[in-house]
Amino acid sequence: MERMGGGLPRRHANSPNPANSNNSGDGHAVGNTSNPANATGSTGNNTAQSTHRPVVRVQDQHMPIANVVRIMRRVLPPHAKITEAAKETVQECVSEYIAFITAEANQRSQREQRKTVSAEDIIWAMSKLGFENYVDPLNVFLHRYRESENSDRSQFMKREHPLMDYGPAVPSGPAGPQVAMMPPPLLPHFVPEFPLGFEQRGPPMLDPSMIEIFLDGGSSTGAAEGGSSSSFGAQDKNWLGGFDPSAQSK
Amino acid sequence: MRQPGRYSGLTMCGGISGRTGPHSLPLARIKKIMKNSGEDVKMISGEAPIVFSKACEMFIEELTRRSWMTTLEGKRRTVHKDDVASAVVATGIFDFLVSLVSGSCCSEDITLVEIETLKS
Repeated sequence: MERMGGGLPRRHANSPNPANSNNSGDGHAVGNTSNPANATGSTGNNTAQSTHRPVVRVQDQHMPIANVVRIMRRVLPPHAKITEAAKETVQECVSEYIAFITAEANQRSQREQRKTVSAEDIIWAMSKLGFENYVDPLNVFLHRYRESENSDRSQFMKREHPLMDYGPAVPSGPAGPQVAMMPPPLLPHFVPEFPLGFEQRGPPMLDPSMIEIFLDGGSSTGAAEGGSSSSFGAQDKNWLGGFDPSAQSK
Repeated sequence: MRQPGRYSGLTMCGGISGRTGPHSLPLARIKKIMKNSGEDVKMISGEAPIVFSKACEMFIEELTRRSWMTTLEGKRRTVHKDDVASAVVATGIFDFLVSLVSGSCCSEDITLVEIETLKS
């Protein structure tokens, strides 16, 4: 398993140990995305072990550090600071994580005589390697992605009838206050309970332009909802009337 | 804050259709790292980098949280590389990262902590 960059200096000044061949990742031997003085070091990759492996640019071996730092800041208090070395370390860890999981997933796909590493292989590998608590959120994420990819854009808009069907979700009886507190009504079974850390706040799935469509198509379902609360059936338009369609969801 | 588009706002935060929203990780880069993992990875399904983008977010968040705990123990407000290293060493599932972060620490100390961690 020949990896490039074995003999190249490490990026950190306080780590003079160059050829840590125990390292299993490509990238941390030469990591100089922010150091212009080492720019020649990256082109020096061309002279390093690049016989049978195409040259990989340094900046291609890791996630962009800005993205990494943005995600880090999501879980840190606003006053917290991060050293450059810490940012780069996390950046390297992410690449190592990807390689680690991919290796296991690839073994599984090969054992099962498949040529393609699938998303299920990835999730399985995470479970096997100790990241079980990632499995459920990732399965939900994958399911939602597949749904959004499978449904045509226009079909998604036409699906407001089953989405507006509050029969099973809303208990019968006096449910006035409950109806009023249903802000994101689109996908009630996809309530994110886990820390996905979306940057969007408020109802992410509720685009204001969709409200108008629901208002147009909702009246027919509202009248047919004998099982749900009477207040909802009579006031289906007024219920959304309080919601300002022109307001931008932040 | 960038507003989600009419359709991208309906999907998962705009990063699924291939565009990288303000929070997503670049799928092509993920795919490149997967291919370079050196394990003779032949073909990768289109969904795999997408799953990884979310998984990496969760990974970064977990690693950062644990590092921050070490920072707080030291009564500091700046996360240092050693805090990240301590978080890696203290977490069993991050064992694959120990050699990566041990470059700046004394390898002997790391070995001792590894043995203690394995014993417990």
